[in-house]
Amino acid sequence: MLLVACALLGGCAREVTRQQVAEFIDMADAAARKRYAPEICELRARDFRSQTTFQGHEGREPTGMEMTRKLYCQQAGQFSRLRQYRLERKSMTIDVATDRKTATVIAEYVETMPYYEQNTYVATPDDFRDFQVVESTDESVVGIEDGDLRFLSTRSDSRQSLVPKDSVQIPYD
Amino acid sequence: MRALAGPAMLLVVVGGFTIYKATSKDDAPSRHFAGLELAANDEDHSGTCYALSTLLIANGLFANAVHTWTAPDPDHENKWKLELERVEQGYNGPLRVFQNFTFEKSGEQVRLVSVEASDGIQTGLDWNIDQLIAAAHARGSTPVDRCLKDGGTGYKYPPGK
Repeated sequence: MLLVACALLGGCAREVTRQQVAEFIDMADAAARKRYAPEICELRARDFRSQTTFQGHEGREPTGMEMTRKLYCQQAGQFSRLRQYRLERKSMTIDVATDRKTATVIAEYVETMPYYEQNTYVATPDDFRDFQVVESTDESVVGIEDGDLRFLSTRSDSRQSLVPKDSVQIPYD
Repeated sequence: MRALAGPAMLLVVVGGFTIYKATSKDDAPSRHFAGLELAANDEDHSGTCYALSTLLIANGLFANAVHTWTAPDPDHENKWKLELERVEQGYNGPLRVFQNFTFEKSGEQVRLVSVEASDGIQTGLDWNIDQLIAAAHARGSTPVDRCLKDGGTGYKYPPGK
């Protein structure tokens, strides 16, 4: 009966461990590489919030954007349209809170994907001249919801640069 | 003790289900509210001849945007805010673009009482109502019963009036 109660009432309190969080981040990165929105979305808590600062190429003025889980998940759906995508994690630090209920993960990523210029007609996924390389530092808070680890929030600081299409080899998938 | 196990289990299951339903439900106005005729913003609040639900569908408001309904006062669900949001690729990078429409029930009508939006998007009530009904006119959407009858008229209805 206790097990049923735990399942129905959102899971019993559990502690997060560094190992669990590291595995969770590996799983999240794998979902991002697959660009499969339901899997990406499932790892975000109900009240997930994402805050992004984006510095465009050519020293463009940075933009800031906040997204709820709903909007984030819709964007994850758009992501699936990409046919070439590479995600590399350059570093990761995990800091488990003293109450062991949450952990803060700081990770550096480099993403490479096609850059479709604004207001241009894209007939095929191959209609681009440059790849965009987006270097990001993500600070995420990971916690337990319904008994499973979830991202509670993510703050990203991203910087974009462009490289010619023929200078990078990324397989189609 | 054993005799209490069954009812206790049932209580836990029913309680858990109730909590789940209460916390996981996506809010939305009732079918009755969405079926009310939208009023124009003129002095008489003339009816537009279209139900709110018809106008939202005719405008494809749910097609490319994430939509969230919230009742500012959950105890009196006569007022609903519809938030539409999407991400656009701007010159400098991705931008969140939003529009918030607040509708309020007034008698057998629903009125658009406020519009908030990102910079560059019109927030005037007249303009927004005109936009909503223009799409319904263009698609030949079904009007409310009152306007289906011969001689039934409303704000800018019949189209071309």
